[in-house]
Amino acid sequence: MHAKQKTWLWNAVFVGIVFALSYSVYFASQKIEYNWRWERVVPYIINTDAQEITAPGDGTVEIDERSHQLTLVVDGETTPFVVKEYTELQVSDGDLIFEGDTLATLEQWQIGPLIDGLIVTIEISVYSLIIALVLGLVIGLMRISANPLLRNMAILYIEVIRGTPLLVQIFIMYFFIGTVMDLERFTAGVIALSVFTGAYVAEIIRSGIQSIPVGQMEAARSLGMSYPKAMTFIILPQAFKRTLPPMAGQFINLIKDSSLVSVISITDLTKAGREVVSGSFAPFEVWFTVALLYLVLTSALSWAIQRLEKRLSASD
Amino acid sequence: MTDTADNIIVATDVEKYYNNGALHALKTVNTTVKRGEVVVIVGPSGSGKSTLLRTLNQLETIESGTIIVDGVDMYDRNTNINKLRENVGMVFQGFNLFPHKTALENVMLAPLKVAKRPLAEVTEHARELMYKVGLADRMENYPSQLSGGQMQRVAIARALAMRPDIMLFDEPTSALDPEMVGEVLDVMKSLAAEGMTMVVVTHEMGFAREVADRVLFMEEGALLVDASPDVFFDTPPHTRLKQFLSKIL
Ligand SMILES: Nc1ncnc2c1ncn2[C@@H]1O[C@H](COP(=O)(O)OP(=O)(O)O)[C@@H](O)[C@H]1O
Ligand SMILES: [Mg+2]
Repeated sequence: MHAKQKTWLWNAVFVGIVFALSYSVYFASQKIEYNWRWERVVPYIINTDAQEITAPGDGTVEIDERSHQLTLVVDGETTPFVVKEYTELQVSDGDLIFEGDTLATLEQWQIGPLIDGLIVTIEISVYSLIIALVLGLVIGLMRISANPLLRNMAILYIEVIRGTPLLVQIFIMYFFIGTVMDLERFTAGVIALSVFTGAYVAEIIRSGIQSIPVGQMEAARSLGMSYPKAMTFIILPQAFKRTLPPMAGQFINLIKDSSLVSVISITDLTKAGREVVSGSFAPFEVWFTVALLYLVLTSALSWAIQRLEKRLSASD
Repeated sequence: MTDTADNIIVATDVEKYYNNGALHALKTVNTTVKRGEVVVIVGPSGSGKSTLLRTLNQLETIESGTIIVDGVDMYDRNTNINKLRENVGMVFQGFNLFPHKTALENVMLAPLKVAKRPLAEVTEHARELMYKVGLADRMENYPSQLSGGQMQRVAIARALAMRPDIMLFDEPTSALDPEMVGEVLDVMKSLAAEGMTMVVVTHEMGFAREVADRVLFMEEGALLVDASPDVFFDTPPHTRLKQFLSKIL
């Protein structure tokens, strides 16, 4: 009873502190006379405004109400400009139109640049995650190999990658390797992130494998399993379970690190944020929104991994 | 048949070192095991019993000498060691069950993935073995849900699932609570009664006397005594063995 009351008290204090922090942000913005205009961010997430469909050239309008079609016969062009999707017409049949005139409006929800950026961030993260996992597994296995060549190559890779900043690696990947091998920005970004994360994954996998008692390998080998079979069926499944928590941390880092690829002009969430700030005149709101979107991604990932951990704990 | 054809294990002049030669773990060991024989190895801790046992399926390699198992020279370049190990089951002191697999899956894994036998046959054989070791009601349990004695019996079933001709036991009851020793020894006794060739490292002198055809005594890497249980226990032919027995009996 006593303990329960105390828990309540601490929870109340926690909520209080969160409120105080939120208020201090508000108060700070009041001090610099900042006007919060959250509504300005909305169109950059989902644009609900009606779009105008404008004429690509001078010409005459033909409207066919029954088949819901507007045709603009453009002077001096053989193929007419056809509009099939519109909500409201702004012209009538037979009207003479000049270039740039509004023909019709279309009310359709369109995803804004922030969501476009979010999608790019997800794409980069997913590709990099998969490649980093494969790369990390290979390097991790090389790292514990009995063969000195494989082992030294793995150590070299891990040390070089972990000893240099990701930002510098991205520049090298894009401006040097990317130029030599003619890589696109996106590819260069994904490779840089994969190679970077792969080094950390390799170390996580190595320590995961080494945490499995040697008796497991001996039992597997004594049953006639080859080294690869013993790894595949016995060691790696157990190591995988143990590496999930550090792996989750590494992949959350990957999502956050992906913001650095914006320096090579990949329009990810961060780059989209920068572009939107200059157009919206609502920098605080935009950056808070960007932060929130990253938080949604990282929380989703850590939730998914926690569920996986629960499912794998059946044998504990 | 000649005498040698009946010897399923022939170890000749086996030398084994640890720590880059600093520790001479097996000193010119010579021994043979006949098909169907039960050989028990005893000796003080650190005398090289486990090392000798583990050279018989090459979990430890040797520096010189030869070991021939079922007619196959283990250290021949052309010998497929995985193939050879399929024929030599091993039971460990610490069980070494696969914790992420159920008891039945532990038994089925190697026949499926190594011997590549059909699932239906493997399942039936695995169930039979679980029944044989008295764990018919424990097949779906994970190792963490089993007692030590039960785990060791699953481990025996797992080794038997590959239908080996030889079974090696490295102190199979040493990690068990006293009340569970009996159930594991009983399984081993019935295995011996069926004619399985067994090499057993153990401190269970009762088992050695009752089940063994021969008892070996090791000390400091050397094989000092090789005798029948009666001779071994009643008229120990070596002073070091006498001292050892007086300490443990
Ligand atoms: N992997 C190893 N590396 C180094 N020394 C070892 C290793 N395994 C065993 N030894 C040493 O070899 C000797 C024999 O060990 P072992 O065969 O385990 O003895 P036993 O099983 O009779 O107790 C001991 O001195 C032990 O410390
Ligand atoms: Mg031992």
